[in-house]
Parts: sequence; structure tokens; C-alpha cells
Amino acid sequence: MNKQPRVVVTGIGIVSSIGTGRKPFWKALTAGTSGISRITTFDTTGFKCQFGGEVHDFSPERYIEKRRVKFLGRASQLAIAASSLAIEDAGLVPDSIAHSKTAVLLGTTMGEKPLEDLVQSWVKVGIRDLDRRRILQASANNLSANVALYFKTKGQNYLFPTACAAGNYAIGYGYDLIRNDGIDYVLAGGSDAFFYVAYIGFQRLYAMSPDRCQPFDKNRKGMMLGEGSGMLILERLESALDRGADIYAEVLGYGLSCDAFHPTAPDPVGLAKSMKNALAQSGLTYTDVDLICSHGTGTPSNDKAEAQAIKSVFKDRAKRIPANSIKSMLGHCMGAASAIEAASCCLAIKDGIIPPTINYETPDPECDIDCVPNIARKKTVNVALNNGFAFGGNNSCLVLRKFKK
Amino acid sequence: MDRKRIVITGVGVVAPNGIGKEAFWQALKEGRSGIKAITLFDTSPFLTKQAGECSDFSPEEHLGSKGLRNLDRATKLVLSATKLALEDSGYILTDQNRDDTGVVTATTLSVINNISEFTKEAQDAGPQFVNPAAFPGTTINSPSSQISIRFGIKAFNSTVSTGYTASLDALKYAADFIGLKRAKAVLVAGVEALFFQSFLGFNKLEFLAGIKGEEISCPFDKRRNGIILAEGAGAILLEDAADAQKRNARIYGQLDAVKTFFDPFRTGKYNPKADGLKRAMQAVLKDAGIEPSSVDYILAAANSVVNQDAFETRVIKETFGNRASKIPVSAIKSMIGESISAAGILQIIAGIGAMEHQILWPTINYKEKDPKCDLDCVPYKSRKGTVNTVLINDFGPGGNNASALFSRWHNE
Repeated sequence: MNKQPRVVVTGIGIVSSIGTGRKPFWKALTAGTSGISRITTFDTTGFKCQFGGEVHDFSPERYIEKRRVKFLGRASQLAIAASSLAIEDAGLVPDSIAHSKTAVLLGTTMGEKPLEDLVQSWVKVGIRDLDRRRILQASANNLSANVALYFKTKGQNYLFPTACAAGNYAIGYGYDLIRNDGIDYVLAGGSDAFFYVAYIGFQRLYAMSPDRCQPFDKNRKGMMLGEGSGMLILERLESALDRGADIYAEVLGYGLSCDAFHPTAPDPVGLAKSMKNALAQSGLTYTDVDLICSHGTGTPSNDKAEAQAIKSVFKDRAKRIPANSIKSMLGHCMGAASAIEAASCCLAIKDGIIPPTINYETPDPECDIDCVPNIARKKTVNVALNNGFAFGGNNSCLVLRKFKK
Repeated sequence: MDRKRIVITGVGVVAPNGIGKEAFWQALKEGRSGIKAITLFDTSPFLTKQAGECSDFSPEEHLGSKGLRNLDRATKLVLSATKLALEDSGYILTDQNRDDTGVVTATTLSVINNISEFTKEAQDAGPQFVNPAAFPGTTINSPSSQISIRFGIKAFNSTVSTGYTASLDALKYAADFIGLKRAKAVLVAGVEALFFQSFLGFNKLEFLAGIKGEEISCPFDKRRNGIILAEGAGAILLEDAADAQKRNARIYGQLDAVKTFFDPFRTGKYNPKADGLKRAMQAVLKDAGIEPSSVDYILAAANSVVNQDAFETRVIKETFGNRASKIPVSAIKSMIGESISAAGILQIIAGIGAMEHQILWPTINYKEKDPKCDLDCVPYKSRKGTVNTVLINDFGPGGNNASALFSRWHNE
């Protein structure tokens, strides 16, 4: 096992409701900025929830050649923009990754947006006026393919639609490919655009809060829908050192588990198992962990189950390990969520500051963990766990560590 | 990667021309097509009328009648195939092994039906009144999650959505996971269901046979003019060889290598150089450590699309040189159509059958020769042949390419 290369994160690209690009994002995140605003993407008449984490100031033309923008759905545009930012942030030029040793691995929940436009058109108008360009872009596999097409990468190309844990699945498999498959660079992360089906679906499950997301708060009312994309550049430590790249963190390993229990309800045992698997695979114990970036959706059931899982894994230390939820600020960016959260872990490690869980007012005895309420906290973070859980019992946990030679 | 020997110990299939491995292999042997007039939905708005439909499929026969109400067709197809594979393998899930057993499912299009139906219900009944139980089905990971729930699979449950190559991409993911000891046994499943919206989409894109020519799936034939869309599901159980031997499992064959590469060209278009497929085939041979001359048989991606079949032919010739014309290359999509994400798993199961029975499956509907497709496509009828190794290709106009090599099991 010693011969296997170490894998590090050297580039971060974010498009989010609180900021686009690593620096604006991090500044807003550590300031506890909320990205929640009144929904404009679609008609919300008659619904209790009128708010969400839409990205308002995204102009795809800044990142994508104008003539190509109109061919791409919004989720692809977000992913290409975040990728472009990550490549630049890593100090790479696009040409240096345009080869068969670069893999593109992307996670999503809802897939590509032109599908929803088509379906709306089909439902309202019928089959006559369906736009050919949209049909071509409708299926979800376009997401990862569009990123690879844009940057001309020729290695593995995977779309993981493992719902709200998908970003971690992509980053984790990227780590596997670099260690075992001779891959030089991995562009890994997730992307999701605001999606009507998700909006009405979560409402019907009574999973949504009307106005704000309050993870771990006693009076939490649910999640908020968000959108965005987070992409990371992964590479071998040796390659990063050779080219003098800034290293945010080292990927130590990851763990998956499956509840095999219920399509929507979380199971604390399954959640705990993904954390235990991640620690075991990374050669760590629960005493090594300095930060848990929680899944923390703000729904009564998730937060309770996650707090229970954290307590079962971290035992006596559970209440002393900060376990923040940045979904309090961004809402739930679905397939992008765990990728953006992985970026947050990397930056917390790099800068020694932990973003807060905002909107926290009333402690909940069932969630008696330290969620870093309301104000960011300075703390040295050597090891961070990034939790990502999803419908279908898709549980994942990524382990990141401060880079030390 | 530490080269663990990874073997196949169970297969399950629901194909348009046969359900269950024996029925499927028998249909392939007889050159029996599963392509017929569509009954699942009204085709009157369309010029084309045919598809590879699993018309004899009755989910209750495999799954019982309980718990099926909220499941879509794709999920029922793949649950049935998975159940058949598990039964075939004799692998019994218990509390001792479920944390070491995973599942990865290849599926891309099936969710479109659920998203459409959900949106339609929102339109008709009002968005506040949609059935919440239908919502989880609008995410692509739903079929795989249902597999994990039904059979109690707990190591992991993943989904891969890469279109035409999804099954082989999922196969690679599963093999990597066994190699890395993330699991000891992994079910690899692939599924697409046939439904109105995807048929509509392929029609509008003019990807279907029957729009620019005869409505027929005739790979390598000069008359080819597009795919016949199909549904189907397949599943195989992959295990580490040592574990399989320990439980005295029947071993069908071993996975020697699987590789995937992307070809950045244009959405919906084939790269005329087909570099990615070539790279995948060559990487597979290299990784397996075998000479091109040891490949006995190829199960082609060929799907009756003008460019696809011609490019695959050319890449096979570039890879195998003078020997190319001597390697039988079957296009089973002539009998079962193009089932996108499920295509690869059905080809793998066909490959296992070919090794089991030492038989070469036919490319049916072959009539007019095309100089651009001058391989031995085992035309018309199956025939006896030596099959110790089988190469499986998949690619499509999306840019993904994959290739895998399997060989007969030799106990050492």
C-alpha cells in the first residue's frame, strides 16, 4: 500500500449563491452569509416555501465561449464554470489537462435542466414543439460529457447520480483512480441547477422549511433548495510538488455505506457506518478528527439521525468536535452539496477557520453536538470528515487532512 | 492495481428475446429477434413503430405481488434481473456478508419517464397534490437503491449514468471496488425501460431506424440507418476468485480487464477517428497482458448506425491487423436492439453464454455487404466456435468508449 501515490487537492472552483470563485465564496462562508432569497426560477404560488438558494449573478459567458453557451443546460454551465475556476485556481492551463490521463467525475441529483424544460413543454403544449437541441442535452450523461468536451479530457468520464451524496462519490472515485489507475488529474465534484420537480417533490415530503434553514436547531423546519457547482482538482502529491502547486489538503480516503432501509428516511446505523468505514480506510481513529462538515440538511429527521450517528462514532468526543452545516447558508445544492462542502473542509484545513451553522437559536437535546453556531471559529484543523447522505440510503464520508510532508 | 482475480459467479437477464439466461442464450442461438411492434404506448404520432420490448415480462413472476405498486418499469426489470443473478450465483445475503456486498447500477434514460409523469401529475392535479411516493423515483439512483433495499445490500449502492457505455463503466467501478477491498462481492446491473418520452426523443433526433430507410436493426449491413431502441436489464455477480472458490461457487469466467476513455468531439456526433474506442481496446489488451492474437471473439457495439458500425470495424482492423478478418465479431443488437445503459451487461451475459456453450451468436438481418464493415459478423446463423476469450465493446455518439475482456475460468 505504501507505493500508492498520495492524493492532494490543488484546485477549488465554486459557483454558489453566496459567491463564485474560491475567495468570494470563502469570505462569504466564513462571514456567515446567507444565500437564500425569494425564488425567481419558477412560479411558487400556493406553496409554503417561497425561498431558496438560487445563484443570481451567474453569467456563463464569463467562463464559456458565447456560441457554446446556448447549447448547454444550466447544470452543465455551472459545472463548466466551476471546473474552469478550479483549473485556474490549481495554476493549470486547460491544455495541460487535455489528455487521456485526466478523468472527469461528476455527481448530480436531478441531472440536466433541458430535460425539465422539455417535459414542461410536453405537458403544456404537446409533442410538436420540442426543441432538438434540448433533446440532445436532456439526458443526464451530458453533464460529465460536456465538462470533458469543453476541456478536451480523454480519461474516464463518469456521471454519478447518487443524489445528494453524489459529489463525495465522484471525489472518492477520483482518489481511487489516481492511486490505482495511473491517472494524473481528476476534475471531480458535483452540479445541480434549480429544478421544479425537486422543489415540489421536497415540499410534498414536507421536507422544506418556509423561509430559512436551521440545521440542528430545535425549531428547524426543514431544508431549503439550492443550486450551484463545486469542482476540485485532484492530483498525485508528487505532481503537485513538482509543479510547485498550492496544496489545500490531502485526500486520505473515503467510506461508503448503504442503509438498504427506506427510499427517503435516513438510518443512523448506515450513516455511522460510512464514517467508520472512512476512518478505517484512512488509518485513523475517531480521536484524530478535528472537524465534521455535516450533511446537516435542516430536516427534523436528517439532523437527528446524523447527530445520533456522530455520537455513536465519536463517543465521549462527540460534543467537542465541531460539526458545522454550511447548508444553513447555501440551502441544499443537491448533487453539488457534498462537493462544495469538501471544498469548505479543504479551506478550513488551509486557513484554520471553521464556517458557522447560521440561523441557530434554540438547542435541541436530540442534536446536542457542537454545530459552530452562528459565528465562524478559529481552530487548527488537521483532519476533517465530510458527510454526504442521500435518498436511497447512499451514504458517504470523505476524509481530508492537512498536508504534511 | 493489485491484480486480484475477479470472477463472474451469477448472471440474470431480462431481454426482449428471452428472460432468464437459458432462454436468452437459446434465443441468441436460434437468431430469434425480440424486436417487434411496440405495445407499451401508442406509436401513432411516429413514423417508426418498432422496438426491443420485453413483452413477456411479468414482474410478479419474479418479485411476487407485494411492494411493486410504487416501482417503475425500469426498477421492476432490474430487480428481476438482479434476483435471477443472485439465485443463479447461489450467493445468499446474510448479516455476515451484507456489509461486504455492494451494487452498482448502470442506467441513464429511465428516470425521464418518472420526471415526465411527476410533472404531468403536477400540471393535471396541481403541484401541491403530486404523489410524494413518486418523488424518489425522479432521481436516477432510485433503481439501485431499490435493489439494495430488496436484497439487503449494505457495502455501497452506486449508480453510473454514462449512456451507451454505462454498463461497462459500472463494471470497471465494481472491479475497482473489489480490487480495493471496498467490497468482496458486487452486483453489476444495467437497465433501461422503454417508454414514450425516450422514443419520442430518439425519433425527433432521427437516431432511429425507419426514418431514413428500412425499419430494421441490421448492423454491418449496407441498409443500416439507425438504431432500434430497446429495453432490457441484466445483472452479474462479481466476486474475488478466492472468495468464490471458498464457497464452491460456479465460476463462469474471469474479468481480465476493463477500460474506459472519453473522446471529446461534439455532442451527438461520432469522432471520425474513433480514438477513444481504439485506446480502450488497446488498453484492455495491454492490461490483460495478452496478445491481440489471443482474442477469440468480439461482441461488438455495432447497433446499425451508419458511423458506429463502420468506425468500430475500422478500429478493430487497426487493432488486430491482418487477423481482424479471422475474428468473429457478432452484433447481438441485431436481435435485441440498442438498450443504451443495459447494452453492455447484455453483451457480457451473451459473452458468458458463448464461452459456456462454445458458440458464436449470429448477426441477423444481414443481407447487403458494406465494404466499410467487412468483418466476419457471423451472419444469419449461429455457429460452433472456440471461445476462450471474448472482447466486449461499447461506445456511442456521446463521447464515452469502453472495452472489456473476459476469459474462461481455469482453475489454478
